Amino acid sequence: MSVVPSTPRAQHTAPGIAAATLDLSKVYGSGDTRVVALDRVSIDFREGEFTAIMGPSGCGKSTLMHCAAGLDSPSSGSVRVGTTELSTLGDRQLTRLRRDRIGFIFQAFNLLPTLTALENITLPLTIAGRRPDQRWLDRVVAMVGLSERLGHRPAQLSGGQQQRVAVARALAAQPAIIFGDEPTGNLDSRAGAEVLGFLRDSVRELGQTVVMVTHDPVAAGYADRVVFLSDGRLVDEMTAPTPDRVLDLMKSLDSRSHTC
Amino acid sequence: MLKTALRNLLAHKARQIMTLLAVCLGVAFVSGTLVFADSAAEAHRAAASKNFADIAVSVSAKAPPPGAAANQKSSALDDALVRKLGGVPGVADVRPEVDGSAALNAADGTPLRVKMGANRASGYIPGKDGKDSRYPLAEGRAPADSGELAVDSGTAAAGHFSIGDTITLATDGPVMTKRLVGIVTTKDTRVTAGGTLALFDKATAQKLFSSPGHYTGIDLSATPGTDQSELSRRVTGVLPADRAEATTGAGQAAQQGILVNTLTRGYEKLPLVFAGVSLFIGSFLIINTFTMLVSRRTREIALLRAIGATRRQVSRSVLLEALLVGLVASAAGFLLGLGIASVLPDILSTDGNTLPQGPLVIGPRSVAAALGVGVGVTVLAAWLPSRRAAKVAPVEAMRTTEQPPSAKRSRIRAGVGLALLVVGAGLLVSLSGAKDASEKNLQNAMFGCALLVAALIVLAPVLASPVIRLTGRITGRFGITGHLAQRNALRDPRRTAATAATLLISTALVAGLAVIGNSTGQALDRQAAAGLGADYLISSRSDTTGVDPAAVRRVADTPGVRTAGAVTDSTLFTGGGVRRISGVDPSTVQDLMKLDFVSGSAKDLGPGRIAVSSTIARKNGVTTGGRLNVRLGRNQEFTKYTVVGVYKDNPVAHDALGARTEVAKNSYLPGSVQRVLVRTDDGAVSKTTEDRLRTAVGNNPLLKVQDREQFVQEAAGTMGDLLTLMYGMLAIGVVIGALGIMNTLAMSVAERTREIGALRALGMDRSGIRRMIRLEAVTVAAFGTLIGLAGGLFGAWAVGSLANGAMPQYSLALPWGTLLLVCLLSLVIGALAAAVPARRAAALSPLEAVAEA
Repeated sequence: MSVVPSTPRAQHTAPGIAAATLDLSKVYGSGDTRVVALDRVSIDFREGEFTAIMGPSGCGKSTLMHCAAGLDSPSSGSVRVGTTELSTLGDRQLTRLRRDRIGFIFQAFNLLPTLTALENITLPLTIAGRRPDQRWLDRVVAMVGLSERLGHRPAQLSGGQQQRVAVARALAAQPAIIFGDEPTGNLDSRAGAEVLGFLRDSVRELGQTVVMVTHDPVAAGYADRVVFLSDGRLVDEMTAPTPDRVLDLMKSLDSRSHTC
Repeated sequence: MLKTALRNLLAHKARQIMTLLAVCLGVAFVSGTLVFADSAAEAHRAAASKNFADIAVSVSAKAPPPGAAANQKSSALDDALVRKLGGVPGVADVRPEVDGSAALNAADGTPLRVKMGANRASGYIPGKDGKDSRYPLAEGRAPADSGELAVDSGTAAAGHFSIGDTITLATDGPVMTKRLVGIVTTKDTRVTAGGTLALFDKATAQKLFSSPGHYTGIDLSATPGTDQSELSRRVTGVLPADRAEATTGAGQAAQQGILVNTLTRGYEKLPLVFAGVSLFIGSFLIINTFTMLVSRRTREIALLRAIGATRRQVSRSVLLEALLVGLVASAAGFLLGLGIASVLPDILSTDGNTLPQGPLVIGPRSVAAALGVGVGVTVLAAWLPSRRAAKVAPVEAMRTTEQPPSAKRSRIRAGVGLALLVVGAGLLVSLSGAKDASEKNLQNAMFGCALLVAALIVLAPVLASPVIRLTGRITGRFGITGHLAQRNALRDPRRTAATAATLLISTALVAGLAVIGNSTGQALDRQAAAGLGADYLISSRSDTTGVDPAAVRRVADTPGVRTAGAVTDSTLFTGGGVRRISGVDPSTVQDLMKLDFVSGSAKDLGPGRIAVSSTIARKNGVTTGGRLNVRLGRNQEFTKYTVVGVYKDNPVAHDALGARTEVAKNSYLPGSVQRVLVRTDDGAVSKTTEDRLRTAVGNNPLLKVQDREQFVQEAAGTMGDLLTLMYGMLAIGVVIGALGIMNTLAMSVAERTREIGALRALGMDRSGIRRMIRLEAVTVAAFGTLIGLAGGLFGAWAVGSLANGAMPQYSLALPWGTLLLVCLLSLVIGALAAAVPARRAAALSPLEAVAEA
């Protein structure tokens, strides 16, 4: 098994880096049941870049994202968002960081069923007690094509529409970085393509930074860069991916992990 | 299938704890109140019952024939007769007794447990062994002369007496003091249920309650194998036929049973109402919990069906599971209920007003109800939804996570609820025109109230939306947490309504009764204030005891007293029935009683001249100047009296007024005084004055010294009892309500882990989550309280207008303080109930948002 090591640097968040991990490890359990989910992973997420994290099931890609987003705490190593070192933050500060600087898109949408689409979109801002920037909001809403459905409840929207609300929610607060956890996992291919299109547009047109976990080579094809994880380690990286090239690499990774 | 059921039971521990708790609480509530009801009834029964178990025949004196001399009263029951009875074949033991009553002052000088029929007194009559077998000595020795006294251990403890103390007591006249020389134990339930017992030596007792050398009764026990009625015939043979008679123990017990039944019927009814409501609330709590679990259970059943379980297998497994839960929880709940029942009397007893005490009575009814609620309702509540679930195609049931209630069902609900509301409210409104509080009207009122409550419960899910939107204006001020709390409370109106139901019922009951109680109290207050001009009222507790004339003079001479007017109470027989007449001094009566004369005046009262209340005047068709044929007190003859005045009904003056000399001549204790009305200088009322007045009447425990306020309170006494009981009920209702809210919220939190996780991921901090859950709880509690309050107030208004017919002074008076307290209490309860679920919700990790479902 070959590893592509990233050289350790003294200052691992250089300008232009939205978030980064350094020697990040996550271990579950102990003794016989000890499972290493992440094994000294170091990776940078550059500003204005759309990164996809790929790998087979159980390779640790979701754990990597959770740790990078401040949802989960690493066993060792460091995570930075901008210049903030997450390991030094308490729950309250972490919560504030998530609220103000991170956007989320979940596989299961996770819209609040009791709130309307618009209320869901502005929810992070409302929690923070901030007024939404109306022009920005209009632009985001127009981009995801929800202008007609802002008063609807999630139950009255299709899955694709719900995920578009979730994308708008992530964008509305203008976070430093957006994390997507299999954002197209629950969608059919047409709706999935729409959502991925919006994510790519937000990077291209709005300069947003997006990191997305996926196992779908087609989804990864929308990204600027794809990183591959296997058994908790960073094993490969690809820029300007296409679905075919991603698929090929996946296959080779698969055969390599089977032979070892 | 048992295995599946058991495994299912263990697999969902959290869920089962909720269900167990709900069933356990429901059963505890029901069995607690029922056991309390039975125990209270038994205690009341015991308090009024003499034990006839080992009495075969009792001999008592016959009432003297009319016109006979009074001193002949009990002359037949003497020692000679006792000896003669001892010789009758079949008699094992002869026990003469001298019984009466005596009221005692506690060590601090206040009357001790003075209550009709509860203050027993007896002579200590040594048997062959020198001891009285009825009263085994626990301490000291038996009273031997007229200066000595023994009491039972309960009385000694309650009055803080110890051997050697000087005790003030009275039997029917002036006070006596005696030295305590002995403490005995007794099995007499009339004493042990919260009464007192005073024992004199034989001679003193005979002097007080009979006449020297004579007894008030003789009890005989039979040798084994002797028939009671046969013995009774033999005993009758030796008795002087015209002066004494024999009754079998069984006969007396039966007679007493009838009397006790009539005396205690009221005490049995009230706790039963209590238990009925608890049954309702308990069943509701259980059904509610199962209804909440139904969506999850539906999916589970669908899964079982999908993998090939038959419908029958599924329902059998559900039934078994419910049966196990029901049995375990009922057992636990029953024990908890016994706990509730054993502390309830203490909680409900106030200083001056103790409920009779006795052992817990666990009747078959309590056990049956506990099992019926615990197992029956549980199984039904689990089975009905599962049957519905089993009917749905498996795939469909698995797909839908939450089935919104169909529009058709909520329309039916609204229709049924409105129909109930219209009928209930209509019944109540129609009663408001009624002129009196007859049994039938009261029953209709109760029925109307029950309908009203049922309507509110049926309508609650429909009402939830507008009411909670209204309260949302307040919770909305808490920002997004309040907003979310309101929306969450509205998410499933049926669940919210079911959760709030307990608080709704309790609040309705308490609000309604508090309003009626307050209004009645104020009406009585106004009535008494309207009738009583005096500042203090000294009264004897019955017509056959009196204030001695010397004490009346001492009262008049007490510093601070301006006027003291003696009143003699007696009876007045008109053609239509027995009325009460007050004998007063015509010159001072206007000062002491506020008499409102329709015509005539009190000035002309005198021999042959009386005044009557307007009710009496109306019923007998007389007016001022007319003549009324009545019989006064002990007087055997009907006499024509001239009516010199008609006054508006007055609770202090009673039905008629006469000159005191005239009334006292014929009263039961000739020349006696039953009440003294006192006016102080400038109407001053103080503890000092009260103490001086008590001293003036010699601290006689038979006399009550009350200021105006105490008098009014006593008049409202029965209402007070009812309210105390109801507040006890509210306490339990509130606890159940709080636990219900806790249960619902815990379940909601469990269901919404993903949502709460998402909120945490999106940046809501722990305190925000906590606040959100708490506000939701408060919203639900406020909803229950508001609806309950509305129902209670409406009911009180309607029933109150009934009372208006019976009580002219009645008008609706809202006890703002109490109502406000009820509202605050419910909000606090809501917040408290949320504590545990809120903490659990706040502890959820944001990772829950991405957890696999």
